[in-house]
Amino acid sequence: MQPHPASYRDTEGFIFKHDGNMYRYIHPNYEVHYAQLMNSGLYEELFKKNMLVAHREIYETGSFHFSEGRVLLPEQIPFISYPYEWSFDMWKDAALLTLHIAQAALHKGMMLKDATPFNIQFFKGRPIFIDTLSFENYVAGKPWIAYRQFCECFLAPLLLMHYCHPGTHKLFSVYPNGIPMDVLANLLPNRSKWNMNTMLHVHLQVKFAGKPNQKPGSENNFSKQKLEILLKGLESFVQKLSLKKIKTTWDDYYTGTILGDDYLIAKTALVKTFISDLEYGHVIDLGANDGHFSSLFAPGIQVIATDADPNCINDLYLRSRQDGRANILPLVIDFTSPSPAIGWNNAERESITSRLKADLVLALALVHHLAIAKNVPLHLIAGWLQPMGEHLIIEFVPKTDEKVKLLLQNRKDIFDKYDLENFKTIFANTYQVVKEEKVGNTDRVLFLMKRK
Amino acid sequence: MQTILLYIDPGSGSYILQMIIAAVLGISFFFKNFWLAIKTFLFGKRPGKDEEKDKAE
Repeated sequence: MQPHPASYRDTEGFIFKHDGNMYRYIHPNYEVHYAQLMNSGLYEELFKKNMLVAHREIYETGSFHFSEGRVLLPEQIPFISYPYEWSFDMWKDAALLTLHIAQAALHKGMMLKDATPFNIQFFKGRPIFIDTLSFENYVAGKPWIAYRQFCECFLAPLLLMHYCHPGTHKLFSVYPNGIPMDVLANLLPNRSKWNMNTMLHVHLQVKFAGKPNQKPGSENNFSKQKLEILLKGLESFVQKLSLKKIKTTWDDYYTGTILGDDYLIAKTALVKTFISDLEYGHVIDLGANDGHFSSLFAPGIQVIATDADPNCINDLYLRSRQDGRANILPLVIDFTSPSPAIGWNNAERESITSRLKADLVLALALVHHLAIAKNVPLHLIAGWLQPMGEHLIIEFVPKTDEKVKLLLQNRKDIFDKYDLENFKTIFANTYQVVKEEKVGNTDRVLFLMKRK
Repeated sequence: MQTILLYIDPGSGSYILQMIIAAVLGISFFFKNFWLAIKTFLFGKRPGKDEEKDKAE
């Protein structure tokens, strides 16, 4: 069995894919920790609170065999997202989950040996811990081995989004093993030094980097109480962090712009008619904005709602969390610079293009932004959308539209071929048009297309 | 000196740092609880705090 390309760090086990399912192999040298996890009641407590992914042990299988150790079949996560695609409050919930789990583990005589957001996935609207092998038996007197990792992997992106800009989480795709503390300390404004927690966890940590851990001969005497204080302190610090408010172009796109209620009502009615005859289980909403169209789908349908604007996606996450719309997974993705394949040998984390697959793709009020604002030719847009899903609902916004006029206001119109006829001709190469309707009293046209 | 530093894990120092942080936070928690106890004694139980906690859960 070949381990997954990202599963090479831990010598105590690995994950592998077989027949479309992800499995986890546990080496005998992890057995003592695994026994504590299962027998102490920690696994049951965490899985009942939906904090840890459920698993069952596989005893008999004809298709693969290990001479020793165990094989677990975890509950399968339908879509793998990566931290650099999350918005602020998704990061915050993931960080708090890690700290809750660490505290729960400590009560049961265990501790987390690592603290990376790659151990967390968003499942049914909430973050869930997926790395069953992260737990190890607590050794009295030892400090938290994953403390620095927690600071670099969770605190750093959160502090950047808190102090600098909502979009700075993207820096994590450049530093997927954690944003180094000295890089962070140089990026944060000077006023961050006036915050006791930032001073302690970031600026002081930079001062201590490179110093030997302890004097030779001195004993480990970091008491359990101190460890609890550290975890509790981190938790209250993360809890207090908020997203820096910066107004973006896409705030109030539907509510505060020239496109009023009539347009939105007409478009909603059309989309509802279009989807009524289709069969689908997975939907991708490209340029989801406030998630108005993502929320049209039934709770059983998984919707991946993407937008380049971190504020829109964060608002959508908070609203979906509040309304219990667990089927919507909001992600911050700029398709002119999509998440690449990264990590060792470019194989650890897949690109977003290879992960985005669905039965139905929504591209509403998107094409003109790609074609006019970003100069992406229509045939490239059609070629990009085609592998993503069987059906496509796409809105064409012509040059006569107020929004396109706005886009062209301060630049030369070099888009001779941007018109409805040409759009239809180009998309006809890869799609068959099923339905075509004008949206209300605007010049915009909505299409339902089926992949050829 | 430079070459030696290259071989020191940047995570080193984390033990002393965790000791300092736990001490500082411990004192800070002590005073926070002390202050809360005084406020509770003077003004009684604050219902707002519990409601917030319930919502969060």
